[in-house]
Amino acid sequence: MNETRREFLQKSAVAAGAVGAGLLASHFARGCEFEASEADALKPVLTTDGKLVQVKAEQVKPVLIAAKRDPAVREGVAGRKWVMVIDLAKCDGCKNCTTECNKMHHTPPEREWLRVFRMKDAHHTAPYWFPKPCFHCDNPPCTKVCPVGATFKRQDGIVLIDNERCIGCRFCMAACPYSTRYFNWGAPQNGSMTECDYSPETGFPRRVGTVEKCDFCPDMAKAGQLPMCAKSCTMGALYFGDENEDAVTNSDETVQLSKLLEERAGYRYFEELGTEPRVYYLPPKDRQYPGPLLKKKATT
Amino acid sequence: MLDNNGSLTKEQDGVHDRLQESVLEELLETLRPSGPLGRLWLLTLGTVMFAGAAAYAWQLLNGLRVTGMREYVSWGAYMTNFVFFIGVSHAGTLISAILRVTQADWRRSITRMAEGITVFALMVGAPMVIIDMGRPDRVLNVILHGRFNSPILWDVCAICTYLSGSLLYLYVAMIPDLAMLAPKRAAWDRAPWKERIYLALSLGYQGTAEQRRLLERALATMSIIIIPVAISVHTVVSWIFGMTLRPGWHSTIFGPYFVIGAIFSGTAAIITAMVLFRKAYHLEKYLTYRQFQNLGRLMLALNLLYIYFTLSEYLTAWYGSEVVERRLIDLLMGRNLYGLMFWGWAVFCLFLPALIVGLPRPKTLIPRLVIASILINIGMWVKRYLIIVPTLMTPYINPEAAGAIPHYYPTWVEWTVTAGGLATFMMLFTLFAKFFPIISIWETVEGVEELGAERIGVEVTIPKAKPRRRFQTAPAFLALPLLLAALVGIGAATRQASPSFTLTARGEGEDKEVVASLRVNTNSLAGARVAFFVERAFGRLPIGATVTDDKGVAAISFPESVPGATNGVLKVLAEVTAPPEWAGAQAKAEFAATLPRNLVEEPFPRALWSPHAPFPLVLTLLGLLTIVWSTYSFVIVQLVKLRRAAKTM
Repeated sequence: MNETRREFLQKSAVAAGAVGAGLLASHFARGCEFEASEADALKPVLTTDGKLVQVKAEQVKPVLIAAKRDPAVREGVAGRKWVMVIDLAKCDGCKNCTTECNKMHHTPPEREWLRVFRMKDAHHTAPYWFPKPCFHCDNPPCTKVCPVGATFKRQDGIVLIDNERCIGCRFCMAACPYSTRYFNWGAPQNGSMTECDYSPETGFPRRVGTVEKCDFCPDMAKAGQLPMCAKSCTMGALYFGDENEDAVTNSDETVQLSKLLEERAGYRYFEELGTEPRVYYLPPKDRQYPGPLLKKKATT
Repeated sequence: MLDNNGSLTKEQDGVHDRLQESVLEELLETLRPSGPLGRLWLLTLGTVMFAGAAAYAWQLLNGLRVTGMREYVSWGAYMTNFVFFIGVSHAGTLISAILRVTQADWRRSITRMAEGITVFALMVGAPMVIIDMGRPDRVLNVILHGRFNSPILWDVCAICTYLSGSLLYLYVAMIPDLAMLAPKRAAWDRAPWKERIYLALSLGYQGTAEQRRLLERALATMSIIIIPVAISVHTVVSWIFGMTLRPGWHSTIFGPYFVIGAIFSGTAAIITAMVLFRKAYHLEKYLTYRQFQNLGRLMLALNLLYIYFTLSEYLTAWYGSEVVERRLIDLLMGRNLYGLMFWGWAVFCLFLPALIVGLPRPKTLIPRLVIASILINIGMWVKRYLIIVPTLMTPYINPEAAGAIPHYYPTWVEWTVTAGGLATFMMLFTLFAKFFPIISIWETVEGVEELGAERIGVEVTIPKAKPRRRFQTAPAFLALPLLLAALVGIGAATRQASPSFTLTARGEGEDKEVVASLRVNTNSLAGARVAFFVERAFGRLPIGATVTDDKGVAAISFPESVPGATNGVLKVLAEVTAPPEWAGAQAKAEFAATLPRNLVEEPFPRALWSPHAPFPLVLTLLGLLTIVWSTYSFVIVQLVKLRRAAKTM
């Protein structure tokens, strides 16, 4: 797995003449330059007429074109309603999701878009691991309070931040009851991302004095790929999918969302706050791993 | 000298003129160039201001990382300053407007100072939000992309309205004094450019009956409208916190709690200012025991109210002891730095001032008030700090569960900018007092004439008092709706397997089935295991699996509970899983889905989170702004008339 798989894109387009598909624009990872990682692996590539085709990675060559910023970035993908389900019975607190997410987003140390908490609700209740991404609420308190519409909710359910408009007032950070948002207090280290064309869907390059958070990887979803956390969860604890399609997929299977929530008594965290999160949790019943108490896990 | 056209005062055998001259002469002393002490004061303030500006420049260069704010505690000293200064600005409203409307006689010598505090505290408080911003270069986005859904926009509107209103109010009440300052005077030497400014600002006011009528109408209107505006401003400031879902902030009493706190700290601020000006300019004759006594009583009343509100706020949280609120209370009142600050504040800045001011010892009143007001001023800053920081440290999801411990201590940058803000406030006030009379001359003169020096609480001797003239009140209908309004004011690789594999649907209703038929070289393949899937965004959703019968047919019931894809179509896929030699053979077909897709008709309704604010919110905001600004316009029309009245003479 190449760590910089996301390092490309937005202004990249991919020519895959070998498959006769003509000019293909790829939209499945973040960064400025496409780097084929697994030579034999199949890469989904979006054709110009909107079809998704599988192409051998080695056949995909990057063609950098001057792509303008997608004006529909605030609208989102029509007909989609992205949703996440986190199975607490499967999460063993390994934090692979956090690690992979941080790598892909070049997140500075101590900043975790997806943070794993070691929860213990009461003295005699069982402790459990609690991975917490942004909940992409349907009634998002952060988006309500933004004075300039820098953070916005799209029709596909995703809440994004436009760091070219953000004034850095941090009202959204105060308003988010889940402490999901982070702030670039100083000049961020963008490294190789500095020259990227910015899009709220990728978040690159970071800018000083602006807010950022988990974005549900909309660029990867466009390309038919799971967000990095769900993709990298070895336990299959993180499911992601389209509520409209009533299906969610984890790293190895696709299941029916409504059935999963019904059978496993899915719930949303702090439902009483009325934020209507787009992230569901499945209670840690019949855990498939030793709980935090039994298995001493490093929390660092 | 003011009245040469048959106004009321002309008949008083020059009493008015003599009185006015003597008051004027005494009060003009404040406008003299600063002495060595005064210059030292200005120099000190200038140095602190420069240090504050330098610290802010450092912050601009390095970003907010030079502050103590980090993850979790994302607001700190700057927001504390913002709330503090907006609070102090309430001095003007209360002392001046309320006392003017209620015709409190003793107000006359303190109204100007109070109005000044409002204007200068706002001028320092409002930019604190910009100093706190990560991207001050984008401040115009608030206008370009402003959303009425955000309490910050409410704040911008309210503070702009309040600042404009209090400037207008300060100015209207100063017009007669400006007219007095304009002419040359032997005893008072001043630059010609000042004369031109005074003359232009005085709008040609000569104190004629018509001009007085217009002035009093303008003043009365302003003093009424500014009250709901001021109340709304601090209410909206509290709503920045109150509108969030945070324990310790999401409280219904936050509006009134902040308003009372603001008037309380404003009163303390004006007492401090009065003492300083009294000492520096020898105004003992004008700022007498009477003013201190009454303001002291007012401050005591507000102090008791603030104790009451504090008790209501924290008792309910402590008694109810919800998990998150208990965490906050433990942090705020427990054995830690915040507990020390909280109890220190409660003892020394809340109960002690009430005790000090409440003592029945007339002789020591002023020193006691000085101590109390300074304690209150410090205390109100600490209290705002305690409202902001501990709440941010105790979010719903306990940070300690992820091994994070929120911490915040303001850095030298924040302390320096804060000191710079305070120095700017004092500097603005000092300079104001150098250019304009800090005590309203005409109101004092009028009061002495009409009510007597004793009644208005000044020690000015005059030969004779004049019959009382009623203070004209503005149309009363303005007050009620405004007060009410102000309170409302929101693929996979397809293996070309040799078997022929087809996928169809048959039957209707509940008997509807998806049928896969599998043949190899025209022979039906029996006993093969076929798995059925529906294609979804990120994978294949299994909908069933079965074994082919003698005819090579595998059928499962139609997936009625599965909605179609974006175009309403179900892409069904069948795959052979056994026997191994045929495994991987696939057939695909598209069927119209039974379930309609769960699409939202309007993806961007007028909701609080959407780009466009709900209509009731927009209408309320625009309605309130229209009422206030049309009242301001009414006042400005009076001033224009006043200017015209001067020309026609």
